[in-house]
Amino acid sequence: MLYVVIGGSAGSFPVVTGLLASLDKNFPFPMFLCLHRLKNVRTGFVEALRLKSVLPVSEPYDREPVLRGHVYLAPANYHMYVTKSETISLSTEEVVNHSRPSIDITFSSAARSFGSKCVGILLSGANKDGALGMKAIKEAGGTAIVQSPDECQVRTMTTAAIKAADVDYILTGAQIISYLQKLKE
Amino acid sequence: MFEEEDVKILIRALKDCGGYDFSDYSLKSFLRRVEKVLYDNKMDIYTLTNAIKIDSNFLEQVVKDITVNTTEIFRDPSVWQIIKYRVLPKLHAQKEINIWHAGCSIGMEVYSMEILLYEAGLLDKARIYATDINSDVLKTAEEGVFSYRSASEYLDNYRKALCVNPYNMDEKIIVPIEKYLDFNIPKDTLKVKPFLLSKAVFKKHNLVSGTNPFNVKYDMILCRNVLIYFNQTLQNKLFMDFWKYLNDDGVLVLGIHESILGPMSSKYDKKGLIYQKKLF
Repeated sequence: MLYVVIGGSAGSFPVVTGLLASLDKNFPFPMFLCLHRLKNVRTGFVEALRLKSVLPVSEPYDREPVLRGHVYLAPANYHMYVTKSETISLSTEEVVNHSRPSIDITFSSAARSFGSKCVGILLSGANKDGALGMKAIKEAGGTAIVQSPDECQVRTMTTAAIKAADVDYILTGAQIISYLQKLKE
Repeated sequence: MFEEEDVKILIRALKDCGGYDFSDYSLKSFLRRVEKVLYDNKMDIYTLTNAIKIDSNFLEQVVKDITVNTTEIFRDPSVWQIIKYRVLPKLHAQKEINIWHAGCSIGMEVYSMEILLYEAGLLDKARIYATDINSDVLKTAEEGVFSYRSASEYLDNYRKALCVNPYNMDEKIIVPIEKYLDFNIPKDTLKVKPFLLSKAVFKKHNLVSGTNPFNVKYDMILCRNVLIYFNQTLQNKLFMDFWKYLNDDGVLVLGIHESILGPMSSKYDKKGLIYQKKLF
């Protein structure tokens, strides 16, 4: 079993939709998306992802059990944690890195809960959220993948992560897709 | 990091010395909050436990820091649209309306409710009760003065909640925000207009106690993004308490990503974003 966590901010939306459109509909692992969005864009986001995605996408309820082949999008204005018992837990605690949801929080909780079974992917973005989360995933024995900063619309986030963590791969969006397509049990 | 045994000792001390029972909090979120308190105070868990035993003011402060206080004006406008168009119209015939905001924080939703009630011509017969475990936030709530900077990002919520009818998108509704709120941008304040103040009764109350703080039955209980910090046993107990304290056709309003799980789920009907009390 693997658990894929993806974080992104400014410039990540086209990469995420491209990725969700290209996966096999029998993708065998759960996927957790933590994407920053503008504060006033509360609704419509999950619908926009659903339009493109071959996998079911939802904003989870607190304590919702995790299913394989399902994509969970951190709801606006909540932090999203994943737990060892394979449930999702939400919180409205303080913003972290000016963000709620915070990528560091989702990534670190995935690292703590799933250790080496965790695949973290960090995409384009304009702040440093996600760098500590990437480091946590690496330290827990997971796989850390960063979108190539040269390809990112905004390179701040990926550059910070590469600096903070000894990442495994620096890949283009297309390479990230083929990496995920090849993931097996 | 610390051992589970140390956490139990801390929870015991908070209960014995302050009467606050955190034993049914979700362990994960309790640990997160404690870690933050330790970090902010540059303490380890032993020093913290000893300090709260000696200093009751410090204990109160720790309880305030452990509990979470996020709120917004008209948080999740779609919920307020349902209250406006599907709940309030049914209350017109009643002599009085009782509403409890359980875990009200600094009261932004209390005033949001007052604004909706005023717009519906129901504020005069409404009795609004609001409670929180944290006396500091209650003081802010009573004063009705907020930071403009932190509130301004939510002003779009106001427009959506009050000026958009989701059941008739063509309807033009104009409710200027100045009718209810005074802005002072240089001073960074957003003040609730005086006619809305001193309408609600604010009271310190710990939900864990299971008591009804006002001894009335409610037409509506709002408890939003509070129960996510509790374990399922306590959640279920509170769904039972709320059920007891609601009128027969009362409704419960939770956070938009909360749901009723467990045995009490059969005692409520989910109607869109709100829960209707079920008698049988």
